[in-house]
Amino acid sequence: MRHLLVTAAFCLASTAAQAVDISAAVDEHILPGYAGLAEKSRQLHAAAEAECRPESPALLAAYGEAFDAWVRISHLRFGPSEQNNRAFALAFWPDPRGATPKALARLMAVGQGSLGTLDTFQTVSIAARGFYAMEFLLFDAQFRAAEDAETRCALVQLLAADIADTSADILAAWQDSYADLMRNAGSNDIYRSEAEAAQQLFTAASTGLEFTSQVRLGRPMGSFERPRPNRAEARRSGRSLRHVVLSLEGTRDLVGHLSDDDAQIDAAFAAAIARAGVLDDPVFAGVADIQGRLRVEVLQQSVETIRQVIAQDLAPRLGIAAGFNALDGD
Amino acid sequence: MAGRRRFLAGLMATGLCPQLTWADAGSPRYLAAARKPSGQYALFGLDASGVRVFELALPDRGHAAAAHPARPVAVAFARRPGTFAVVIDCALGREIARLTAPEGHHFSGHGSFSAAGDLLFTAENDYEAGRGMVGVWDARRGYARLASFPSGGTGPHDLLCLPDGRTLLVANGGIETHPETGRAKLNLPSMRPNLSYLTLEGALLEQVGPPAAWHKNSLRHLAVRGDGLVAVAAQWQGDLAQTPPLLATHRRGAALQFHKAGETHERDMQGYAGSIAFSGSGDAIAITGPRGGVGLIFSASGRLETTVQEPDICGVAAAADGFAFTSGLGLFRAGRPAQPEIVRHRVAWDNHLIQI
Repeated sequence: MRHLLVTAAFCLASTAAQAVDISAAVDEHILPGYAGLAEKSRQLHAAAEAECRPESPALLAAYGEAFDAWVRISHLRFGPSEQNNRAFALAFWPDPRGATPKALARLMAVGQGSLGTLDTFQTVSIAARGFYAMEFLLFDAQFRAAEDAETRCALVQLLAADIADTSADILAAWQDSYADLMRNAGSNDIYRSEAEAAQQLFTAASTGLEFTSQVRLGRPMGSFERPRPNRAEARRSGRSLRHVVLSLEGTRDLVGHLSDDDAQIDAAFAAAIARAGVLDDPVFAGVADIQGRLRVEVLQQSVETIRQVIAQDLAPRLGIAAGFNALDGD
Repeated sequence: MAGRRRFLAGLMATGLCPQLTWADAGSPRYLAAARKPSGQYALFGLDASGVRVFELALPDRGHAAAAHPARPVAVAFARRPGTFAVVIDCALGREIARLTAPEGHHFSGHGSFSAAGDLLFTAENDYEAGRGMVGVWDARRGYARLASFPSGGTGPHDLLCLPDGRTLLVANGGIETHPETGRAKLNLPSMRPNLSYLTLEGALLEQVGPPAAWHKNSLRHLAVRGDGLVAVAAQWQGDLAQTPPLLATHRRGAALQFHKAGETHERDMQGYAGSIAFSGSGDAIAITGPRGGVGLIFSASGRLETTVQEPDICGVAAAADGFAFTSGLGLFRAGRPAQPEIVRHRVAWDNHLIQI
């Protein structure tokens, strides 16, 4: 056993990380993802300026496309998205204490004339910003029925302007400097080696899958005794299952870059996406009964399988220590 | 050991030996939870050089433990979001009580006895309300639950009874979680960690936290020196390109002081300090970084002195000469960092090494 332990320690310390084409991941996954988000968010802002009523088909379509673009890259939680809380300003969810509707109600009470400019709006509660807040304004019965349509309209336009601004900022930061930090890993202090850059990307994919499994699926599943369908992500706009699929597709693309398109790993993604495809339960309302909950649980299990596969097969290749304590997080 | 346990149990039955001490448990110096190669979990007693003194089975993965100040009693806490804690008589080698978190609460993995050992305090999450709580248990009467009160923040993790005997210190990590979503963090954009000093009855005496720019620096683990100087280990929840210090110290009435280790060492820690301790002399503080396999040793005034390299290092406690460390690969190492004395065990040591 002593021999085994020494061998294990040796492996952690000296296994050369498999080479990953970081530049390809940046140029083919990250930059196009953020460019798409910036462009769709710009179109959302334009649509809101043209027509801000929640009934506007053009606005709702633009909102859906921009939200899609975000979810596809919502796993990239490092670098520019984390500076100035930009990612949270785009996506304040989960919201266990209901901060978003409360903050929006306060803004509605302030009235259109006192909402201020985009600059002042960007200093309000982060819970009142981004795609999830806009969903309340466009899809929640209470906000749709609000008598003060002018204030709601002004808020929709402010939120759209803010989303466009934040998305443009993230893209600019990537294009101006952060992409080069990753491409030139090994010659800067943020990424001291290519392995560190690869590990950052692996962590992003792994954390994104964990979020999909534990939060996107886990929150509505609740407990067996007490399922929580009202906690499904973006259920008001009917997007809950869609987000699971989009996030799986997004992480699948990133993991493909990290694993040199490993067929076995990709098959695990394909299986989970296929499961989601046959679920036929767009907002996980089915979790309220045993059969429906079981079907969502099967999907969750297939996402867990991806996590296990990449932890066992991919992490060691990237030189990531799978330590008992290193992975504990407590 | 088993023979002595039977003998002690017989003595207990005759009423001839009313009060056992830690000497009756083989005088362990440390407690640590571990996973065994079989996949089972256990609590171990170790002597000063890291040799096993006793081993007692746990029902599931542990985290930290609390040692009774006089009697050979250890409380092993389940890993978050567990709802059990096992009170073990380490001399008799058997469970003497089982704590179950009240409905709607789970344990954080940490707890602490009062100075006289009459009361046990546990850090708990009231998860529907998203509110941190402290549970109070009566160690004199079978560990009955006496009371509970708010911990002063969200997501309390570590908790200590301070040397003055009157004050409780809680590290409210600031992170809201719910058992239905496992260990997923639900409130990172709005999290506000703090240290809360409370009376033993739960009155808030003092509260300090990191500056606003570091509100995602979760204050999680605590150590205290005899004179009341508190040391705190943090876990950064923001972007890893930022490297806020993971060590802070605090004195009552003053501001929380963070201590930089320097960019390279901060990066090696990967934003995550797993455990913290003062040295035996009290003139040094160690924090451990299992992600980078590194331990950082600071002077008590917060200047980095030395580093320790050890894969999956995490547990740390005071030793006669500096610190003792444990790792997930089964190592116990003590002595000077450059020439450590190492004992290998066939277990994965979990997170914390508790000094008795």
